[in-house]
Amino acid sequence: MRREVALVLAGVMVAGLLSAALAQGGRRGGTLRAGLDSDPPNMDPHRSTAAVDRQVYQSLYDKLVDTDQNLTIVPMLAISWTISPDGKTVTFVLRRGVKFHDGTPFNAEAVVYNFDRMRDPNFPSARRSEIGPIQKVAAVDPYTVQITLERPYSPLLYVLTDRAGMMVSPAAAQKEGTDFALHPVGTGAFRFVEKIPQDHVTLERNPDYWMRGAPYLDRVIYRPFTDDNARVANVKSGDVDIINIVPLPQVKELAKEAAEPGARFRLLEHGAFQWQGIYLNVTKPPFDNKLLRQAFNATIDRDVIANVVLQGTAYPAYSYFPNGTPAYDPAWKIPPRNLALAREKLQAAGQAGGFAFTLLTVPNQQQQEVAQAVQAMAAEAGIRMNIQIVEFGTLLDTLDHLQHQAGLLGWSGRPDPDFDIYPFMTQAGIGSFNDTGYADPKVQTLLDAARLLNDMAQRRRIYRQVTEILADDIPYVWLYFPKEYKLLSTKVQGFVQVPDGMMRFQPVWLAP
Amino acid sequence: MLRFLIHRVLQMIPVLFFVSVIIFVLINLVPGDAARLFLGEEASPEALAALRHQLGLDRPLYVQYLRWVGGMLHGDFGHSFKDNRPVLPTLLEKVPATGELTAAALVIAWTIAIPAGVFAAWRRRTTGDYLASALALLGLSVPSFWSGIMLIYLLAVHLRWLPASGLTPFAQDAVGNLRALIMPATVLGVAQAAVVMRQLRSSMLEVLSADFVRTANAKGLADRAVLTRHALRNAVIPVITVMGIQMGTLLGGAVITEAIFAIPGLGRLAVDSIYSRDYQVLEGVVMFSALAILMINLFVDAVYSLVDPRIHLAGGRS
Repeated sequence: MRREVALVLAGVMVAGLLSAALAQGGRRGGTLRAGLDSDPPNMDPHRSTAAVDRQVYQSLYDKLVDTDQNLTIVPMLAISWTISPDGKTVTFVLRRGVKFHDGTPFNAEAVVYNFDRMRDPNFPSARRSEIGPIQKVAAVDPYTVQITLERPYSPLLYVLTDRAGMMVSPAAAQKEGTDFALHPVGTGAFRFVEKIPQDHVTLERNPDYWMRGAPYLDRVIYRPFTDDNARVANVKSGDVDIINIVPLPQVKELAKEAAEPGARFRLLEHGAFQWQGIYLNVTKPPFDNKLLRQAFNATIDRDVIANVVLQGTAYPAYSYFPNGTPAYDPAWKIPPRNLALAREKLQAAGQAGGFAFTLLTVPNQQQQEVAQAVQAMAAEAGIRMNIQIVEFGTLLDTLDHLQHQAGLLGWSGRPDPDFDIYPFMTQAGIGSFNDTGYADPKVQTLLDAARLLNDMAQRRRIYRQVTEILADDIPYVWLYFPKEYKLLSTKVQGFVQVPDGMMRFQPVWLAP
Repeated sequence: MLRFLIHRVLQMIPVLFFVSVIIFVLINLVPGDAARLFLGEEASPEALAALRHQLGLDRPLYVQYLRWVGGMLHGDFGHSFKDNRPVLPTLLEKVPATGELTAAALVIAWTIAIPAGVFAAWRRRTTGDYLASALALLGLSVPSFWSGIMLIYLLAVHLRWLPASGLTPFAQDAVGNLRALIMPATVLGVAQAAVVMRQLRSSMLEVLSADFVRTANAKGLADRAVLTRHALRNAVIPVITVMGIQMGTLLGGAVITEAIFAIPGLGRLAVDSIYSRDYQVLEGVVMFSALAILMINLFVDAVYSLVDPRIHLAGGRS
């Protein structure tokens, strides 16, 4: 009960602060042009699988809850929530006076419809595994929704800050069926106008938006720029106001230029959720041998990778939990490079002369630079790594079918630590991204247990235990946590950088 | 002429058939599961199977092929896996941008190349010739992804004369459209100019050493008349072949240039559909390109007979 009151107060405070911020100095009008790293394929949040879609969704859709820049869960379409003592029931109190862009009222019935849609076996939903533990969703009254879980599921709230928590108009979804993506309808600050594939997505201001004063902008236009250099050049030339991904090799140069007087753009930096590293296939040689995995791992100097190869645009990594995320443990040490240890392990494995293997990677400049650095480091212990460049879809396919020896691939990351580790290190079946073939019963048990706990401190302890096991077994070689950057014109005001990398335009306005 | 045209159109059919078989086989050989890429890694085996069935991917290959070809004959080129939009309208949407870019690039290319080629041949072995040839070599060697970015930095970022990207439709904003076209057309045009210029120069040199040219000069004809009325007309046949190939290639989409200048043309559509294994879109783009090239070849062949009366089309007595 006390918790619920606290949440409501928090919600009111946040809303109040936001309105105060909004009231403060925002200039109405203007069109914001946002550059994306690729063309968002699908405007239906329940079917989307591409990270870039989520950028457009921040403007089109509201979620039940959102995260702020400190990764605290804040109210959005739900103004408060309670979790039952046994952790199996979550009750949301919904915001009143919210309408979908087509006029349909937002209420508990709409929420129930949305969850039914995501869980409908006849609907090609991409959200099923994220909300797997949900057993039932029911409307207690027009503005209260109760979610019943099969078992406690602590990641739920963070899951609902992303696509699974985005609410689509039941009327529009029913009418359009699988064509909903072509005419998307949400409750967001901006309404859909048109989408021309590979050219632009245009949204216009929602005059009935529930957040008072917001949005300031009249229109938002998203344009895809697949070429890194072109994307940056367009901000510099003033053809685009903000871009979502800044190529890491250019960060240092851009930071310098942005700091000069009279610069027309700014560069924002923040820790993010991503982790990057190498999947080792433990089901076949050479990495079915733990000693060889350990040997390879010991040759790597993570400091050099993060601070020299990547020029400080990443943190060195030795776990699945990036700096600043809830499960990050600052006390956890990153082992330095240890060639002697590497040689010792090679000796113990009977491969004193080293061994050879192939690393698969994509034709991305950064990935290739990292691969080459790792290759050089491993060579000093006699480990010969061949780098093979393949196209991304092929890489995924090969890794998923465990046909590789090693693959350089990371994860975009999630605010909740569970999704940063569970699908990768367990034999989870649906939604499993376990491209190492690793299966350890102790790890499975611990990770399952962590999902049932609602206390982050307890979960952190479990994740620490798991990380210790993985640091010994090394099915995945952690390398670095990329930081997240945004490049934006100095005309863009009110933009807040959130570690999930998503651009939120509700409070944004354009200076003349 | 009519018989010729009919013959040629009939000949296109087996060619298109072979192209369709080849592209279909190639696409299906590429690893990567369209259903998986579409539904994402979250997909359950049941969902994947359901989608594969829905998309017809679980049928034997020859069945899938026949369905596709059958559809095309009815004007149905299939649907995009990503958002279910029909392929043909999507293709046609991209044609104006690619068409404009091709036309502008070739206008620039030929305006530079023809005078340059004639001049270089006429003034062979002089400084003028060497300069023109060197510039041609430069145009050929400089990669478009570099020259494109350099132009953007110079003209859009520093001087702010031109937009860095995009292509608003001509109907919407004619001036904006032309301004946006300048840089990408130049990047493409300069590279293509080099090709034509070298071909023309070499052709002209051959023709200029022919007896009839010596006769014309001996008759006292002005250089300009010799060059244009006599030499050029004869030298231009192989050049027309090259021009036709250029047109066909560009109509297939200038992938790199479109990526750098963010132009929504066929090139980007093709690349995008490859990465996302959007089979039907890709097949549509390839068939369209093949058809475009065949049509252009037909047109070029017809032009030959106009330029050189000695060339007879469609069999017949010579």
